[in-house]
Amino acid sequence: MEKRFELIASSEVLAPFRREFRQILNRAGWEKKTAEKILLAVDEALTNIIRHAYQGRPGKMTVSISASDDKIEIVLEDQGKKFDPTQVPSPELPRHRPGGLGIHFIRTIMDQMIYDDQNPAWNRLRLIKHKTKI
Amino acid sequence: MKIQLTSQGDIQVLELSGELDYHSSPDLREKLTELTMKQTPKILVNLGGVDYMDSSGIATFVEAFQKAKRYQGRLILAALTATVRGVFEIAKLDSIFEITPTVAEAVKCLGAKT
Repeated sequence: MEKRFELIASSEVLAPFRREFRQILNRAGWEKKTAEKILLAVDEALTNIIRHAYQGRPGKMTVSISASDDKIEIVLEDQGKKFDPTQVPSPELPRHRPGGLGIHFIRTIMDQMIYDDQNPAWNRLRLIKHKTKI
Repeated sequence: MKIQLTSQGDIQVLELSGELDYHSSPDLREKLTELTMKQTPKILVNLGGVDYMDSSGIATFVEAFQKAKRYQGRLILAALTATVRGVFEIAKLDSIFEITPTVAEAVKCLGAKT
């Protein structure tokens, strides 16, 4: 199952995107608890694009989803400021100050978080989750 | 996201429903800031109707919790759904916040005075 979303980098698009993505996860056979976590990880990645890559400016972001029997792969792309989340160190938990948890959520939930730094114009982040590894 | 403010004795109760994310958390932040600015001593947040929360929601609660602590106020989170509870657990914040399974238990913990 493959699906591609082209989204405007704005917080308003997050809830409608989640509704559609939730249905994809259900159809792909993910149990609810894990599906909600994958949803959270991708939502955090999109929020990072809106906040850090575009910094509130208008822009485009795409989400390409590829779901097979044993895994799901999500590729997020944007043309905002270069930002490699894999280089952000893990926070000390629990954090007593607000913020800084989004990348921790992605790292904890997904099996792989891969940043492609080959394209100078695009940020490209791949998130992979295997079904057998919960 | 819907936010309703009511009072139960001397407890200010914020009842939330819907999804708490980067888009909706500024509304919650505004309500909680109003309460902490007034140094409201007892704040109860009923999360029973919240079926989704991201790190922006967590950040909003951490900020309000720290502000309330500064004036010896209390903020209790009640009736978390399994999904929302899971988010607090990933953040390892479930042991930092005062969390109760039900609103009635939160009211009891805060000791409502009429």
